[in-house]
Amino acid sequence: MIKRIFDWLKQPLGLIAVGIAFLSLFSLAAYGLYTTQQSPEQPIQFPHQTHIAFGIQCLYCHPGASSGPAAGLPSQAKCWGCHNQIAKTQTSALLAPLKDAVLSGTPIQWVPVAQVPDFVQFNHRAHIAAGKNCEDCHGDMSKVTIAQNPQVFNMGWCLNCHVESAGDDHEKLVKLSDCGTCHY
Amino acid sequence: MTTDYKISEMKMSEEQTGKWGMVIDQDICTGCQACVAACAMENNVTFVGEVDSGYGRSMHWIRIERFWEGEYPEVKMTSNQPMLCQQCGHATCEPVCPAFATVHSQAEQLNLQVYNRCVGTRYCANNCPYQVRAFNWRDYQRPEPLPNQFNPDVTVRRKGVMEKCTFCIQRIHKAQDKAKSEGREVVDGEFTTACAQACPANAITFGRVDDPKSLVSQMARAHGHGVKHLEELGTLPNVTYLKGG
Repeated sequence: MIKRIFDWLKQPLGLIAVGIAFLSLFSLAAYGLYTTQQSPEQPIQFPHQTHIAFGIQCLYCHPGASSGPAAGLPSQAKCWGCHNQIAKTQTSALLAPLKDAVLSGTPIQWVPVAQVPDFVQFNHRAHIAAGKNCEDCHGDMSKVTIAQNPQVFNMGWCLNCHVESAGDDHEKLVKLSDCGTCHY
Repeated sequence: MTTDYKISEMKMSEEQTGKWGMVIDQDICTGCQACVAACAMENNVTFVGEVDSGYGRSMHWIRIERFWEGEYPEVKMTSNQPMLCQQCGHATCEPVCPAFATVHSQAEQLNLQVYNRCVGTRYCANNCPYQVRAFNWRDYQRPEPLPNQFNPDVTVRRKGVMEKCTFCIQRIHKAQDKAKSEGREVVDGEFTTACAQACPANAITFGRVDDPKSLVSQMARAHGHGVKHLEELGTLPNVTYLKGG
């Protein structure tokens, strides 16, 4: 029985069938990986590059980054501080969700893009204090609309930078490569 | 790993190896269980329920042990004994883990449990002489709105993962982070663990045991009757119990 299947697979038609099966499995896996790396759907197609072009600092909208664990996503009150003085806000279709949110008092449900798993305890403050800039991890936001991750946030990537920044300082290396620094 | 340790070398009771430590005064502990509740709230310790508790699967990071002397009806209660992870300097749980999920923190001198590494062999719990490790036998459901009281600084553990007291390492990190942002060292008594904070009798004291000036090391020394449990096993526990003082 098995010999018959092998014989059939060895003929040209069988080889083509194997090739097609392999290709379709491979492309399915590749597509699966691709979908995990896409930016999620946002309530507003927020153009980062426009805001940065106006000279707005990252910390203006994400102030938590310099003082605590979470950088924070701005509430509509912060958006409205500037946008209620901009005439285009009233007419633009892109900004209609913002107007609705402010008028109805319902918060905008931003979808976080740069996320780590629950078992990782990340603190922005320590990284900013160590001299890291936002773009070192989050990429150049002046080139994207909705935030995108320039790389996969995995442990090897984190640890590479930790070991590098520790350098020859043994005490610092112990602290930065300790499991309990991020996992608890 | 070599196993030719000599008992005499292991007995280093006078020599303090840890960094963080605790003193529990059993004479003033009333056994009110406030520490148990506070710990569960702080560390997202789940509620197991009656059925699983009946199988001995209840989950606590700290528990109050009761002992008594004599035969019924002449029973005399002895003092309560809060039991939690002793954060051993030479822990028996660590070398048996096949996945290196329970490792010793070199930076904080604590026994860590790395949840994402744990594969759930439960060997560590079987090897712990204090029996303070708890295993997640299920994904215990928390009905709404209970998930709102999760502590965001602590991982919510999944099914099949071992867990135990961390000496509130999230509070240690928070205090260190705050001190660093203000350009100073962490002050003794600046923060404490959830159990020590909740204790209405102040029976639990937490702090640096490697600092001879800290309250916790002064208390451990001053009374002269401090006991470290199962010290003869050479585990180098970092919790001192005061009794009969």
